[in-house]
Amino acid sequence: MDKENAKGIGKICIPGMRLSLSNKEFISGPGTYELKGYIYATLAGILKMEADEKTKATMVSVESPRTPSVLPKAGDIVTAKVTVVNSRMVQCMILCVGSSILARPYKGILKKEDIKSTDKDRIDPYKCFRPSDVILARVLPMTEIHWYHLSTAENELGVVIAVAEGSPQGVSMVPISWSEMQCPKTLVKEPRKVARVIPENINQTMFQESKGDTEQNSK
Amino acid sequence: MAGLLLSPTEKVFILHGVQDDYRSDGRSNIDYRPMELETDVVSHASGSARLRLANTDILVGVKTEIDVPKPDKPDCGKLEFFVDCSANATPEFEGRGGEQLANSISNMMQKAYHSSQAFNLKQLCIFEGKQCWKLYIDILILECGGNLCDAVSLAVKAALFNTRIPFVKAALMDGGNIDLQLSDDPYDSKLLDVGSAPLLVTLCKIGDKCVVDPSAEEENCSVISLIVGLTGDRKYYYPKDADKQQSVESKCTTIGMNGPGSVAPKTLKDAINQGIVAAKSLDEALGQALLKERQQNIGIKKHSYGFLK
Amino acid sequence: MPLDYRRFNGPDDSVSYKRFTDNYLKSYDELYEELIDKNSRRKDGRKLDEARSMCMFFARTDLISQAKGSAYIELKKTKVVCSVFDPREIPHQNEFSQLGQLYCEVKFAPFSCVRQRRPHAPDAEERALSVALRQALEPAVCRHLFPNYQVDVFVYILEHDGACLAAAINAAGLALANASVPMYDIITACSLAIIGEKVFVDPTEAEEHLAIMSPDTEGTNHGIITMSMMSELKQVSDFMQIGSMDVQCVTKVMEILEKECETIVPNIQKVLVLNVVQCFNQRKQLEAEAKEREAALNAKMEEWKKILNAG
Repeated sequence: MDKENAKGIGKICIPGMRLSLSNKEFISGPGTYELKGYIYATLAGILKMEADEKTKATMVSVESPRTPSVLPKAGDIVTAKVTVVNSRMVQCMILCVGSSILARPYKGILKKEDIKSTDKDRIDPYKCFRPSDVILARVLPMTEIHWYHLSTAENELGVVIAVAEGSPQGVSMVPISWSEMQCPKTLVKEPRKVARVIPENINQTMFQESKGDTEQNSK
Repeated sequence: MAGLLLSPTEKVFILHGVQDDYRSDGRSNIDYRPMELETDVVSHASGSARLRLANTDILVGVKTEIDVPKPDKPDCGKLEFFVDCSANATPEFEGRGGEQLANSISNMMQKAYHSSQAFNLKQLCIFEGKQCWKLYIDILILECGGNLCDAVSLAVKAALFNTRIPFVKAALMDGGNIDLQLSDDPYDSKLLDVGSAPLLVTLCKIGDKCVVDPSAEEENCSVISLIVGLTGDRKYYYPKDADKQQSVESKCTTIGMNGPGSVAPKTLKDAINQGIVAAKSLDEALGQALLKERQQNIGIKKHSYGFLK
Repeated sequence: MPLDYRRFNGPDDSVSYKRFTDNYLKSYDELYEELIDKNSRRKDGRKLDEARSMCMFFARTDLISQAKGSAYIELKKTKVVCSVFDPREIPHQNEFSQLGQLYCEVKFAPFSCVRQRRPHAPDAEERALSVALRQALEPAVCRHLFPNYQVDVFVYILEHDGACLAAAINAAGLALANASVPMYDIITACSLAIIGEKVFVDPTEAEEHLAIMSPDTEGTNHGIITMSMMSELKQVSDFMQIGSMDVQCVTKVMEILEKECETIVPNIQKVLVLNVVQCFNQRKQLEAEAKEREAALNAKMEEWKKILNAG
């Protein structure tokens, strides 16, 4: 019965299983680790072999059926909700990493100088974010215990969903420029640090695009 | 130790030295650093000892009290270990900071002394099922310079060797209760048989080999250490009746691991064997030192000012 | 011993009634006789070298829905529940650490033991077990993936009939894998009781009790050993021994333990594989349902469009 069920799922891995050699052809991806020239699994899940076109290498990774218990890493794109705004920085709760939802929100901090890449000394956080905005941000290397440092100094990062003051609940504003959003109901304009990409399904395209960006950046 | 930083090259140097059984301070893998031991240092305790091993400073006091034996062991006394990591040692121990370390050490000691082959609790019996001696062994860590377990076990054994328990002169049965009459002459007392009391040996894994009594630098190179409790040999402590007994092989009374790493099974076996060799020489040295000290103290009342010399 | 003053603890000097039964007064030899019958079988019909994992091992996962991962392990009368939670902030931490921490807590149910009622507040044994559990699990978890945070592992021993540390480690290993906490390897543990020449694999509580008790004859080996291993990497992550035994005995017994740890691995693997299959089937089913609904909606829309166009 088990075998019948297992059909069509793919190769099932469990932690500590040896998956392949680790060399130029095979690189260890998420859910795996390297030891003494081999790649081993760290999660229970399904084996995935993805060929990278540029390097001609195969990325070996394990996909777990549930969200792995990992935390945001430096370089990840996260979705966060703004909680506090003051003149020096913005505090937020990180809700998602990439496309996976976190079981527990983690605290993030966005410093004034990390909001925009240009005109850094004239940034006013009050004109960029408001509490309860949903933003996209990139994780910076961790320097403080319990606080993730974030950055929105990229065109694709910034406010995604925001509700204007006085607007009815659930009516979010529409971006009208790099720095302004307007409520379609009340026509109130509010300043924001707007993220560029807002296609129909935010998750998919946004994630892939930003992933591509990171790869390019790292090169 | 906090604040100690080693570069990878320094670590490799230490590791290679250990591989060739030659450590950076000139010792071999089973050598201890020099220690200082002094017994009978606390006047209000039945027995006491102070041990200094490099920078580690341990003071042990034994207090005796009368208690009711456990119902399932009516002919046995009781033994209890308390470790106090004072904040004097390092500020990290302040408040409840040292509690975890203290618990783990006292647990280790309790386990090591559990078996009757390690320490016979029957010698603490006064009146079977009614009264027994309870020894409170209080361990004070005055300075913390690594290798605590070994130092504590040595100091405890020395303090127990030094412990005097008053003789019971008479006992009155009064209904169900017992009234004891103890002699108040401090010299009218018996000594405990502690020959087989266990010593703990900490083996720090560096590379594939293990070392005893690691220095702070060596501790930094290791992710896991093994603690082995091994029984002592009576002949080192009671040479008078040595001819009566054959040499006993030391036995493991407890084994535990400490640290975030893991070891291969073969390394574990080698480490245990290495621990036995180290424990044996340690036990012999301790026995000699204690006997010598006892010899010196006979007759002359020791006058000592400022025992923390 | 700190007492919990918020609840009624009963009189301090209460004694279990079992103390007055015949059973309690049995001597060491009598108890020893009881453990093994003439055919050198144990009380529950096992051979000396037969672990409960072979015949009476039951394990499952996902029984606590609130936890990220959970596991339940039953070795006949030893029953253990374990739950694992997502990384959270370490309370009172003031130092930056590259590695995450594991917080382990082992708790006995008040009614779990044969001999005495367990107090509400954690006692020395529970604390020692928690430390041992952490020691056993730490090398297996990829702790560098959650710096400055801790993963909580809670083990509750519902019924204790020997080898509870081994059962706790097995359950915790399973729960961690179930919670998709990245791990280097599967972790298994096994326990042994030694009385004289006899080696009881996976002992019951009665056997453990006797092994801890010191025999009257000098020089006989006795004690308990628990070892946990990462089977693929061939590494010992924790080794605990108590009692008194010579070195030959320890080394000999280590081989048995190694073998026993290996035999538990397939059991754990089976549970994990089943788990993955189940999860994927569930997901497939959900996807199929979603597709069905979408198709139905699309059909409705087409219908309406037609009506609108017609009108």
